Amino acid sequence: MEAFDYMRPTSVADACAALREAGGTARALAGGTDILVQMREGKLRPAALVSLRDVPGLRSVRREQDGGLTIGAATRLIDIETSPDVLRDHAALAEAASWIGSVQVRDRATIGGNLCNAAPSADTAPILIAYGSSVTISDGRGERTLPLEDFFTGPGETVLEPGELLTAISVPPAPAHSHAKYYKTFRSAMDCCTVGVAVLVVFAPDSRLVEDARVVLGAIAPTPIRAPRCEEMLRGKELDSALMASVGALAAEEARPIDDVRASAEYRRVLAEVLTKRALAAADSWLQKGAGA
Amino acid sequence: MKTCIVRRGLPRIDAVPKVTGEAQYTVDLKMPGMLIGKILRSPHPHARIRSIDVSAARELEGVLAVITAEDVPGTLFAFMQVMADKHILCTDKVRYVGDEVAAVAAVDDDTAEKAIGLIEVDYELLPPVLSVEDALKPDAPLVHEDKDSNLGFEVERLFGDPDTALAECDYVAEGTYVTHDLAHTCLEVSNCVVKWDKKGRVTVWTNTQAPHTQRQEVARLLGIPRANVRVISSYMGGGFGSKLVTDMKAPIAAVLSRITGRPVRIVNTRSEEFTTAKTRYPYTIHLKTGANKDGRIVVRDMTVIGDNGAYHDKGPATINFSAMMFGTLYNVPNIRAVGKLIYTNRQMGTAFRGFGNPQMAFATESQLDELAEKMGMDPLELRLRNANHAMETTSCGAEVCGCAMTECMEIAAERIGWKQKRNGADGTVLRGVGLANMVHTGGGGRFYGYNSTEAFIKLSDDGTVTLITSALDMGQGAHTAMAQIAAEELGVRLGDVIVLSNDTDLTPYDLGAWGSRATFMNGNAVFEAAREARLALIEAAAEMLEVPAADVAVEEGRISVKGSDEKHTIAEIVDHSVNEHGWTISGTGRFVDKLPEGYTIKSAFAKNIPCFSFGTQAVEVEIDAETGQVHVLKVIAAHETGTTINQIMAEGQIEGSVVQGIGFALMERLISEDGRIINDRFLDYKIPNIGDIPEIEAVCVESEGTKGPLGAKGIGEPGLVPTAPAIANAIYDAIGVRFHELPITREEVVKALREKRE
Amino acid sequence: MKRELHLTVNGVSYHRLIDTHRTLLEVIRDEIGLTGTKNGCGQGECGACTVLLDGEPVNSCMVLAHEADGHDVVTIEGLADGAVLHPVQRAFVETGAIQCGFCTPGMVLSAKALLDRNPDPTRQEILEGLKGNLCRCTGYVKIIEAVQAASCLLDEEEPS
Repeated sequence: MEAFDYMRPTSVADACAALREAGGTARALAGGTDILVQMREGKLRPAALVSLRDVPGLRSVRREQDGGLTIGAATRLIDIETSPDVLRDHAALAEAASWIGSVQVRDRATIGGNLCNAAPSADTAPILIAYGSSVTISDGRGERTLPLEDFFTGPGETVLEPGELLTAISVPPAPAHSHAKYYKTFRSAMDCCTVGVAVLVVFAPDSRLVEDARVVLGAIAPTPIRAPRCEEMLRGKELDSALMASVGALAAEEARPIDDVRASAEYRRVLAEVLTKRALAAADSWLQKGAGA
Repeated sequence: MKTCIVRRGLPRIDAVPKVTGEAQYTVDLKMPGMLIGKILRSPHPHARIRSIDVSAARELEGVLAVITAEDVPGTLFAFMQVMADKHILCTDKVRYVGDEVAAVAAVDDDTAEKAIGLIEVDYELLPPVLSVEDALKPDAPLVHEDKDSNLGFEVERLFGDPDTALAECDYVAEGTYVTHDLAHTCLEVSNCVVKWDKKGRVTVWTNTQAPHTQRQEVARLLGIPRANVRVISSYMGGGFGSKLVTDMKAPIAAVLSRITGRPVRIVNTRSEEFTTAKTRYPYTIHLKTGANKDGRIVVRDMTVIGDNGAYHDKGPATINFSAMMFGTLYNVPNIRAVGKLIYTNRQMGTAFRGFGNPQMAFATESQLDELAEKMGMDPLELRLRNANHAMETTSCGAEVCGCAMTECMEIAAERIGWKQKRNGADGTVLRGVGLANMVHTGGGGRFYGYNSTEAFIKLSDDGTVTLITSALDMGQGAHTAMAQIAAEELGVRLGDVIVLSNDTDLTPYDLGAWGSRATFMNGNAVFEAAREARLALIEAAAEMLEVPAADVAVEEGRISVKGSDEKHTIAEIVDHSVNEHGWTISGTGRFVDKLPEGYTIKSAFAKNIPCFSFGTQAVEVEIDAETGQVHVLKVIAAHETGTTINQIMAEGQIEGSVVQGIGFALMERLISEDGRIINDRFLDYKIPNIGDIPEIEAVCVESEGTKGPLGAKGIGEPGLVPTAPAIANAIYDAIGVRFHELPITREEVVKALREKRE
Repeated sequence: MKRELHLTVNGVSYHRLIDTHRTLLEVIRDEIGLTGTKNGCGQGECGACTVLLDGEPVNSCMVLAHEADGHDVVTIEGLADGAVLHPVQRAFVETGAIQCGFCTPGMVLSAKALLDRNPDPTRQEILEGLKGNLCRCTGYVKIIEAVQAASCLLDEEEPS
């Protein structure tokens, strides 16, 4: 690893100032599980690492009055996985976090790190987007907020400017009569980069009618992407196996996968179809079990 | 046979140091003044070296030596010296991505890394041959220009008249089967520390499976007398065949150490381990099997084309060995085995648990099921009708002594629920069961022209027993097994035995840990040494107690006299003998595996094997047809042990091999792009993790007739051999798709199912 | 650049001047000299380097030493109480869950942490908890048995 400046600011303002002063290649360091690997491989050569370990206010999960969540960006994945506040109405997020790596990784890796690393396969992104989440970015002087789905601009790239820090993720309350699910394949292996599908299905009360739906595909395009045609196909219809199959097939079309050492583009489309179908089936079986009762 | 120590699943003698972190592996060694060595490796699969500029590297602060080919002996080397084709550092050409070009020694890792980056090599790129097909084309570039072609080795064995048999038999199955490069992925990467003393003796600390042969290899490479080389191994983080033949790290570190006057450590990075630590030989196997209506398999005809990689290693031995197993299983009267190894500009192969047998078994045991289908016969029934028998010499000359093959098949089939589940008899869709047999050596081989070893035991006046054995424990538990055998024969407790090993200055010459030979070979020697020590102990007791030797017995560390209640400890007897008479009590054991009459290395073929281990695995799988995921639900692995020395350790060997077999069947493959391996990390080269394993039932089947110590035979490798074909056969039973290539990935399953629908 | 690092390892305090790019694994092995923690891949993918950081398992090759400044580390050497093995260690020894032993330190610490969090894990929970520790020798069968045995041993030790 090449040498770098290492700083330990004690406030968001100081952290942003440190990032700004160090220039474009400085990185905020939270869990380090992505950054350190990339530095070892020479893919990342930051002039400075600004550690967030001593910056207060970045590590928490808070349930708001309306049932939404405010999550500090440096909250560890293990804490999201096990947080009663997350599990209460946003269990799919806890489950998505639990897919990542191993316990050892999740004891360090943070939700903010997962988002800022901006791998096309970032496992927390699809479900957060499905929930309609937004992110808060600080530059030490002021803040801005934007929808998470606008946060990513390319593989490994976000809207963050030098001197900016992701500070919080806001997750809206789960709509009534809704079920969300993140599906990734092959739980047993520590896969990080095959396909991930998140769906949020809002049903009309006591009905199989889909009032609203959000379908988000991960690892199947340069950034996590919504599948608007899938969502359109679902709205206003009764969820049944024929519909699930059609939406799955459409997801395969909306995907924009690449070939790489982990899987071929063709197989990724197959997975997009299967996982979308199964995520919808999960919503369906939740409904069957007398959901929302 | 009554046993007290053997057959019990006693905890291994090195378990506590390992579980407390006390155990030192060679990678943990620290020495004053130790430098870090690093190797500059070729980034190209095939290129001429025009020039190397090391000046910037030499000038870097903290760098104490930089070497290229002109600084090292010009020895050409290969495991078999007649096939020598590799220099310590490349002279004029590089032949695969990873080939050693230069090396540095520096004060720390970062500096060494930086220095490597400062070495400038001017390469003239040459067209590479990156596949066997390309290498065999008439105008193919030559990997080694001093050879006529890229054919590195070929052999043919013939028994009976295969052509006539094929023409005349009732049923023939024919097919081509393909396996690819696999990495051993030992958790401890290959590493060494090398140091010279003032007398010109060099010591190599390294995680090797064969200290004595590596000592010879290092001496040969450096051009120094063997007496000047000492090899010391330690606790070892896995071997599986990857650490049998030396690689260039030891001689490179030796030269760096000689120049700098300081110890030099070289450790593979994990990426280097994936890309240069040598692989399982990829095989393409063309196979024909013929049988008659009566169910008897009468002919097997195999051509193996192996990708040798850029340089020779254990390739010829691997091909020969798989041919021997091919000839032995089922005692088929007409056998043709043709093997070829082709040079390519790719990573070298080496020994890997199973030694060609897993690749070959995938082909033969898959084809047997295909043949059974043609015959309208149950695949289990076909195998039962052709089982090998004890005390039989096969048509290719294999001398089978103990054999429990039929019993293994019956156990495996019964416990998997063969009758109930085969052909969807239980009504499930997408589930299936499959079966495969294997034979392997249970005692190494006579390939060097001999197969023998020694052991030495001495008794201390405090009652402890010191066993000096060349048995190499790479994690498989050899030292524990040896201690158990010694304890059993000597009549002491396991805890009384101290094992000394791992040092070529101390231990008798031995060929090392391979071919599942430690239990059989080293065990026999230890048994003999213990027997001699026991006799000496009895004599000393007789003298001390003034009774006839015939009246003295030794059991569980106590000496007793017939017709008396007297009991004495071993300590008492030895103490008396040593301190009253100056007589030490010890025993030497030598086991010589007697060569069959008329044996020659060239013609011996299956007569190279002193002891065969048979086994059967039955597997149940369930296919997720949409994703292509093959879930292995259950594996019954019934393997012969002759006599099980340590039940828990034997199960551990079987379980570990089965899981490696699952990796071989479904997951593992090194993937290259333009000759460069691109999945050189655990994230992308997937080996089974704890969530990937099925329910595994390891069954140790005992039998009589084996000449191993207390009737035991080896169990280190057999568990890996039948797993892949059993899985392939189970997949066929589940979804009616036959796979001829490994690994059977999800993508392949999805593709095959789609094709089947169309 | 060097910076003062304060670390408690197995109950002992260390104050050293350490380069900021050094990992916790390097400091444990090279600086403090505890070689029980192993380097299997250096990329956080095999778990051989697992240590407990404030009681929780982490891949020490992926933690910058200074990120652990002021915190508490337990390595494999810190588990046994003198000559008395921790129940998890005992279980590994007696179940035969150790072969080459290279994955063992990391595996044992992950198992201990799992049982600390969840004293009576289901088989599935054991698989989830140890997913990050690779083993090439044992096939994991006896490792799972060892964790189950350890759970039982720890249960026996509980004051009733």
